[in-house]
Amino acid sequence: MNKLVVLTGASRGLGLAIAEQLLQQNYQVLAIARSQSEALKQLAQSCSERLDFMPADLGQLDALPDLCHAIIKQYGRPYALINNAAVGHDGVLATLHNSQISELLNLNLQAPILMSKYLLRSMLLNRAGRIVNISSIVAKTGFNGLSVYAASKAGLEGFSRSLAREAGKGGVTVNCVAPGYMETEMTSALKGEKLESVKRRSAIGRLATPEDAAAMVAYLLSEQASAITGTVMTVDGGSTA
Amino acid sequence: MNTEQIIREAMYQVAEISDCQLMEPIREDTVLLQSGLDSLGFAMLVAQLEEDLGIDPFTEMAIPVYPNTFGEFVRIYQQYAEQSQDGQ
Repeated sequence: MNKLVVLTGASRGLGLAIAEQLLQQNYQVLAIARSQSEALKQLAQSCSERLDFMPADLGQLDALPDLCHAIIKQYGRPYALINNAAVGHDGVLATLHNSQISELLNLNLQAPILMSKYLLRSMLLNRAGRIVNISSIVAKTGFNGLSVYAASKAGLEGFSRSLAREAGKGGVTVNCVAPGYMETEMTSALKGEKLESVKRRSAIGRLATPEDAAAMVAYLLSEQASAITGTVMTVDGGSTA
Repeated sequence: MNTEQIIREAMYQVAEISDCQLMEPIREDTVLLQSGLDSLGFAMLVAQLEEDLGIDPFTEMAIPVYPNTFGEFVRIYQQYAEQSQDGQ
C-alpha cells in the first residue's frame, strides 16, 4: 500500500511542486487547500488514484480537530504531514492591520501546530512518521516588510526542534525546509531591481526553484532520512551562505 | 465491552507497541503517571481511544482537565461517551 502524505497548501507554488514529486515517488497524496486550482485538477487527472483533494480553510482553527479526525477515518493513519500552507502579507508592521497579523499567525503558525498535534498521534501508533514544516530563510535573516511572516516562520522552526525531541522516541521525525526566494505567486511582488539583487546575492547566480525545495521535502520523507530530525534544511541557492 | 474495558484493552495495546511495562493490577486509584505509560504513551492512548470510541474528550472539553488517577480518566471517557450517544 502507498504511504499517505497529508499536504497543506497543495494547490499552488511549492505545494503543487511537492505534490508532483511525491506522486512520482508513489506516495498517496491528500491535498488540502481552500479550493482546487486548475493545476491541481490537471495533476489529479493524470494520477487520480493516488491524489485526493479535501477542501479546508486552515485558518479556521476550531475546525482542525474534526478535519484531522475525518482524514484518519476516511484514509487511515497518515505516514507524513507537510505543513506548507501559508500567507505572506507584505507590509511594514507600523501600518499592518491587526486582523492581518492574527490571520497570518493563525494560518502560518497555529494551524501547523494543531495539524501536527492531531496527526502526530496517529503516526505514533504506527511507530513511524514524518512531519515537515515549510519555513523560510526569513526565519533567520531580515527582510523589510516581512516581520510578522518572519516571526511565524521562526516560531515554526522552534516548534519543530522541540517537537522532534518529543516525537523521536515514537519513530517520528520533525524537520523544517527553509526555501529562499522562489518565483511563486507568493513572491510575485518581488520584481525588477529587487529581484535581480536577490539573484545576484545567491551563490549559484539564480533563485532556488519550487522543484529544488520539493526535492528536499521528498528526501526528508524517505527512509534514508530517518536519522535527520529537529533541523532546518535550507534550499536557497546559497543566498544565505 | 464497556468503556472501562475498552480503555484497559487500549492501555495494554499501547504499552506493548511503546515498550512500556504496565503496573499490575491497574486499579481505580492507580496514579496514571505511575501506571507504567510515559507521556508519549498517553498521547498514543488518547489517539487509540479516539479510533476505538470515536471521541477525544480532551479536545471537546472547554476547560483543560488533567485526570490524576485511572478512575478519573475512565470517568471522563464515560461522561463524554454518554454525551456523544445522547447527541446521536
